[in-house]
Amino acid sequence: MLKYLLKRSGIYLIMIFLTTSAGYFLAVSSLKPAVLEQEKIPRPTPEQVAASFRGLGLDPDKNAWERYVEWLGGIVTRWDWGRSPNGAYVNAEFADRVLVSTRLFIASIILTLIIGVALGVYSAARQYKFQDRVITSYSYLVHILPAPIAYFLVQLGAISINETVGERIFFVTGISTPGIDPGWPAFVDLVAHYAVPTFAMTIFGWAGYQIAQRQYLLDNVNADFVRTARAKGLTRNQAIRKHALRVSFIPVAQSIAFTIPAIFTGGFFAEAIFAWPGIGLWSIQSIGLQDVNVATATLAYGSVIFAIGAILADFATTLVDPRVRVQ
Amino acid sequence: MSTNISQNPAERLRDAGLYAPGEAVLSVRDLNVRFNSENGVVHAVRGVDFDLMPGKTLGIVGESGSGKSVTSMAIMGLLPETADITGSVRYKGKELLGLSDKAMCKHRGSDIAMVFQDPLSSLTPVYTVGTQIIEALTVHNPNMGKQAKEARAVELLRMVGIPSPKDRLKAFPHEFSGGMRQRVMIAIAIANDPRVLIADEPTTALDVTIQAQVLEVLHTAQEETGAAVVMITHDLGVVAGMADDIMVMYAGKPVETGTVEDIYYNPRMPYTLGLLGAVPRVDTATKQSLVPIEGTPPNLALPVNGCSFAARCPMVSDACLHGEPELVSVPGSEAQTLGHKAACIKSDELSGNADAHKIFHAPPKPVSKFDGVERLEREKVLELKDVKKHFPLLKGALIKRRIGTVKAVDGLSFDIREGECVSIVGESGCGKTTTLLEIMEFHPDQVGEVVIGGVSNKVATDHKTKMAMRKEMQMVFQDPTGALDPRFTVYEVLAEPLENLGMPKAAVKKRIMELMKLVGLQPDHVNRFPNQFSGGQRQRIGIARALAVNPKLVVLDEPVSALDVSVQAGVINLLDKLRAELGLSYLMVAHDLSVVRHISDRVAVMYLGKIVETGDVDDVFDNPRHPYTRALLSAIPVPDPELERTRERIILQGDLPSPLDAPKGCNFATRCPVFAALPAAKQEKCLTLEPPLAPEKEGTQDFACFFPDGELDADMLVVHA
Repeated sequence: MLKYLLKRSGIYLIMIFLTTSAGYFLAVSSLKPAVLEQEKIPRPTPEQVAASFRGLGLDPDKNAWERYVEWLGGIVTRWDWGRSPNGAYVNAEFADRVLVSTRLFIASIILTLIIGVALGVYSAARQYKFQDRVITSYSYLVHILPAPIAYFLVQLGAISINETVGERIFFVTGISTPGIDPGWPAFVDLVAHYAVPTFAMTIFGWAGYQIAQRQYLLDNVNADFVRTARAKGLTRNQAIRKHALRVSFIPVAQSIAFTIPAIFTGGFFAEAIFAWPGIGLWSIQSIGLQDVNVATATLAYGSVIFAIGAILADFATTLVDPRVRVQ
Repeated sequence: MSTNISQNPAERLRDAGLYAPGEAVLSVRDLNVRFNSENGVVHAVRGVDFDLMPGKTLGIVGESGSGKSVTSMAIMGLLPETADITGSVRYKGKELLGLSDKAMCKHRGSDIAMVFQDPLSSLTPVYTVGTQIIEALTVHNPNMGKQAKEARAVELLRMVGIPSPKDRLKAFPHEFSGGMRQRVMIAIAIANDPRVLIADEPTTALDVTIQAQVLEVLHTAQEETGAAVVMITHDLGVVAGMADDIMVMYAGKPVETGTVEDIYYNPRMPYTLGLLGAVPRVDTATKQSLVPIEGTPPNLALPVNGCSFAARCPMVSDACLHGEPELVSVPGSEAQTLGHKAACIKSDELSGNADAHKIFHAPPKPVSKFDGVERLEREKVLELKDVKKHFPLLKGALIKRRIGTVKAVDGLSFDIREGECVSIVGESGCGKTTTLLEIMEFHPDQVGEVVIGGVSNKVATDHKTKMAMRKEMQMVFQDPTGALDPRFTVYEVLAEPLENLGMPKAAVKKRIMELMKLVGLQPDHVNRFPNQFSGGQRQRIGIARALAVNPKLVVLDEPVSALDVSVQAGVINLLDKLRAELGLSYLMVAHDLSVVRHISDRVAVMYLGKIVETGDVDDVFDNPRHPYTRALLSAIPVPDPELERTRERIILQGDLPSPLDAPKGCNFATRCPVFAALPAAKQEKCLTLEPPLAPEKEGTQDFACFFPDGELDADMLVVHA
């Protein structure tokens, strides 16, 4: 098992290297930070811009290959992911951004998965009954609702709760209140900031899992092996719980690989609306700011998260499905 | 008695309880099942009555859609909640219908157990077989200790003949072959010593040799547990040797019931008679046509007026169309529940030796212009010379390593002459289909030579020669539904090959009308889509498509295995007729040896990519020399109860070995009943030398065995006394 996971990790490492390198070449040949420098007042001369960029390791006169070698050398020898056109170090900001994103998403990722799968099972067991229709219709509705509107509605709801109570219970934006006392007050502040985005992302996030789990379970509810289990003397519900559920979870487990990276790197709406400056927002901004090194770093991060998701999915699949276990 | 229309249902049910024999373990009375479908209410089961005595076996025989499986599921309480079930099902006098799912669970698996058709999908893939057997024990014996359950599971696996049962407990279903999984299913079913065991087509999905093994296991299971068995099947051969009583179902209703002897030797319902005549026999060489039953079963979403079989019955008269005939005792049989009964107003006319061929107007056996010509004087239409197809077996994710070779086809040579039918038989995995694919491939790079109509694959490199070859040879596929494009009308299906040849439009139209008539379809149906035809008609369309370009050779890949028995006979007769009229040659692949015997002139028995015996079909079937052929033939059940009960059969041990570990000498040595009984000195010869395919004396079949007359191993011989 360990050997298998190590082997997979090795393959993913090669993949990450390839996507990141390809991303670097794409960024270096299409992003031109010098253009933005021209908007500064007083306007710098091209020589001044080139000189300042040369100091940051962003020499516009070198060709793509030379810059790639220089950039890669920095990472391999000093773990230095380069600098932004404004002089900031990528490494310095990166860790903070990752931490913000992780804090923002981790709870809702776990909640979404648990609630989505549970509701999928619940609705499949009650196919076409009232509860199923409500849950499944809700999931389809959420699918067509654009995320910014959905999050905005939750913010409005939180604000109206605050107004009804007459006291500020929830923060609808931001990570924390500056200058709060550590200990209990800090914790209350954290929860107050955390509740609204997590709630919003969870209730608008489980739809995919719910629909998938319901569908896969329904595919298996009338499977021959469930009939066999019933013929042994299990009730219908026991047979479904024990036999159909685990089989139907196999494809859902595989899909986790593709949803986790999507949430992390595609969560810029949530980060922007709730004002949590995380990595998703950073990657979008970096493209606007023609920032080659940040764009590449966020891409590399996305690849790593994808690889982790894929390994998790492999692990989950081998756990539930003996047919893929390696001898 | 219980189907008396004049009584109201409540009275009938009360009577049912009163009249049911006291000792019956299972009494079914007036069982009706209706399903709501988009096309209205389908009345799938229309009044089934039977009593099952302890230790006895009841065979329920019928075609697909006759309601036999629905009946068994209704007894088990496994039909969907939406099904409307009325009547009475009593287990030892206790009413089971109307019990809640939970209450029913006390009986399911302990009193009444079931074995299902498809062993591949009937076991949960994510649990070990041990877990699944133990689960059946846990449900009904919550107080049983863990070790006791494990010991019982091992005992059960041993009982159903799974080698090293203790280790196999921890194996997952995908590590078992189909036959082994069906054994596990039987083990689960008999885990709690049920009084009633329902087997729904338990061997339909299996190879004949494996079928013989599984039937043997079922027999043992019944002996061990003393359970009464309900055996549901479409195969009249399978139940002939096992059943005590038979119930023939048609259109949701029993149309004839009685002891096996009554049904097989003295059928009193035209449908039964037709069914018996529609099955070719593997043990006789009589070359007469099969009994075709024209038409299709009625649509059960519509009310049935008159006899449900009337539309297909050759003896139909006006009286048959008014009022559905009751199941009444046949004169002369004892008036008891298990007496011989038939639902036919003309059952008297069928007494004595009714000839199905005469009644059903079976066509005479067609005679081909080639029949009189000596085989060697006819031209060769297809010749294979040492054709080989080896697949490399690779391992590794990025860099593939070759870890072995699968010899799917390993040095095949045979020829087909004008006007003859050659069949290739063998278990699945023996290379039959690969052989067909190699012939269809027709490429110079193939190993070995394929000569079709005088053109060799080694010479034919240009497109034109290949096109000419394709015109000589056409193919009919196994699944008629899958092989026809659902969006093409029949006209388009048939026009395609003709247009490909560049035939003008008017000629295409004329040819299509000819083809429709030729295969027995109405020419004005050409604008219909395939889904508007029945399975048998679709296969006729497939045959018409193959014949469109006037080929000399038609390759038939399991042409009737997807069809019901009564429909199958019509298609076989058609193939027979076409061969004679058009002077066609057939190359057929089939697993049903009775069909092979009926239709073929020559046969080649394949085992692990090699022909082990080949020759005239009557020589090979009447006097098989290779032990594998003997075992294969002995595995086929014959629709003759007397013979089935007394004949000695060879039950091969194990499955077809993986082509990877094919033995060095004779391929068959690992399973051979003769080899097992040989002294070690002679065994050595089988293990080191490969027996050549040669005849024993001039003019008989070729076979590849050193010891064709060797004693058979006693362990592999079974006689039911």
